[in-house]
Amino acid sequence: MEKDDLLITAAQAQLALSAEEAGRLETAVSEMLDYFEMMNEVDVSNLPPTTHALVRENALREDNPNPNNNQEDLVNRAPENEDNFIVIPNVL
Amino acid sequence: MTELKEHDKDINSFLEFASEDAAASVAASANQDGPLAGLTFGVKDNIAVEGMHLTCGSKMLKDFVSPYDATAVRKLKEAGAVCVGKTNLDEFGMGSSTDNSALAVTNNPWDLECVCGGSSGGSAAAVAAGLVPFALGTDTGGSVRQPASFCGVYGLKPTYGVVSRFGLVAYASSLEVCGILADSVDTTRKVFEVIKGKDGSDQTSIDHIPASADAETVAVLAGDLGLKPEVETAYKKAVDGLKSSGMKIIEVELPMLDYGIAAYYTIAMAEASANLARYNGVRYGHRSAEAGSFEDLMRMSRDEGFGDEVKLRILLGTYVLRSGFQDQYYTRAQKIRTAVRNEFDGVFTKADMIMLPAFPTAAFKHGDQSLDQFQQKLADKFTVAANLSGMPAMSVPVSVENGLPVGMQLMAPVFAEERIFKVAEKLAEVLPPAACPLSMAGQRTTEAK
Repeated sequence: MEKDDLLITAAQAQLALSAEEAGRLETAVSEMLDYFEMMNEVDVSNLPPTTHALVRENALREDNPNPNNNQEDLVNRAPENEDNFIVIPNVL
Repeated sequence: MTELKEHDKDINSFLEFASEDAAASVAASANQDGPLAGLTFGVKDNIAVEGMHLTCGSKMLKDFVSPYDATAVRKLKEAGAVCVGKTNLDEFGMGSSTDNSALAVTNNPWDLECVCGGSSGGSAAAVAAGLVPFALGTDTGGSVRQPASFCGVYGLKPTYGVVSRFGLVAYASSLEVCGILADSVDTTRKVFEVIKGKDGSDQTSIDHIPASADAETVAVLAGDLGLKPEVETAYKKAVDGLKSSGMKIIEVELPMLDYGIAAYYTIAMAEASANLARYNGVRYGHRSAEAGSFEDLMRMSRDEGFGDEVKLRILLGTYVLRSGFQDQYYTRAQKIRTAVRNEFDGVFTKADMIMLPAFPTAAFKHGDQSLDQFQQKLADKFTVAANLSGMPAMSVPVSVENGLPVGMQLMAPVFAEERIFKVAEKLAEVLPPAACPLSMAGQRTTEAK
């Protein structure tokens, strides 16, 4: 993979790669992509894709409300919170 | 607990031990009549245990404490078992040595200079060292079976969906299962009976409908498999062992195995890139102290929180899912997944079971340059097929070569776990598993009631 392509991909993946990191990962990424090329040797024209090994249909159940009393407990796990809200830098 | 910590000092299989008080109070209130009463267990640190850390071996989640129990953990507690701590792993389950953990280095109890395998390496090492009779692991492409082989213990990857994934930190959802590392077939079976079953909290979970437990014919691979001599020797011993227990052996070929690795990594990385998008420094996990804007907060938190192997897989996964590349990589991989599955289905019309090595090598030394991260991925060729097809597979210790254990993998059609257990028991009669020299033998309860 070209370096430009790697940086576009990193931006899509929301990863702030340093130049040193990009250099280090570039080889490893290309090595795997080259390996993936071997999939082209297989004739897949008559094969349906398998998305899940054993799941055949949607799993549905009744939509019954259940109590959930750990709201505060969950908000408290945020790196910064205030008055039961999660704090992030200004977006506007 | 003090004794466990002392014994684990050189092995370092646990990232966290339950506090003395917590373990004592849980033990006192445990179900004394449950099928697992009296048994202690460890939990791989990507599976939730209420009130304990859930680090995934990552700086990203180093300080995160789980607010609830995974379904499998809850069921074990209800059956009377007592959780003593969380075990080390490759970061987010990505690796074959546990050396990709950002938090600790775990050594193989058979040889402290060697790796314990991965990614459920801490769980395998803890069982081998006799710290616990069993531990939970997760298996996405061999992460229970390969460390089981490296540490000389049993390692079951159940049929996909049969054990709930609720409370298991997602890596590659269509491939991963919650598995068991244990000191005997009997313990593995008892734990499996407890944790299996459909769960409303996991939409991919299914009921276990047992398949026939009878096995007469076992298929093995012919030709040069590229195995290290110690694994080659162990494979032959295991084939002879099956023959002497009255099994009929047939030789087969599985040409799709090599393509399976490429398909497996394409799918696993694509799913990982989506699943790991949730770590953005907002709701929980590491948050960068340097970020001034919201966008920087996400990008920098992820860059600082993830290790190299995780970033590599997120990048590759994002790339293969980019518009214009999907057919070339992801969809093609899913079609090859079908081909792998068809190939195994074909073998199961002639044989009741397949036996493959778990890994082409025994445990290797920390930092072994001959087996870098790329080579380690290629070496997953014998294990990924079970994840692609959903079938159960178990690594069984069959031999000790040059002081290191080697395990073989018994694979059966979906829902045929009991068939695997029966053949594993027959193998244990002719090739009894050796005890690890560093095991706390005699200081634990090995048999469930």
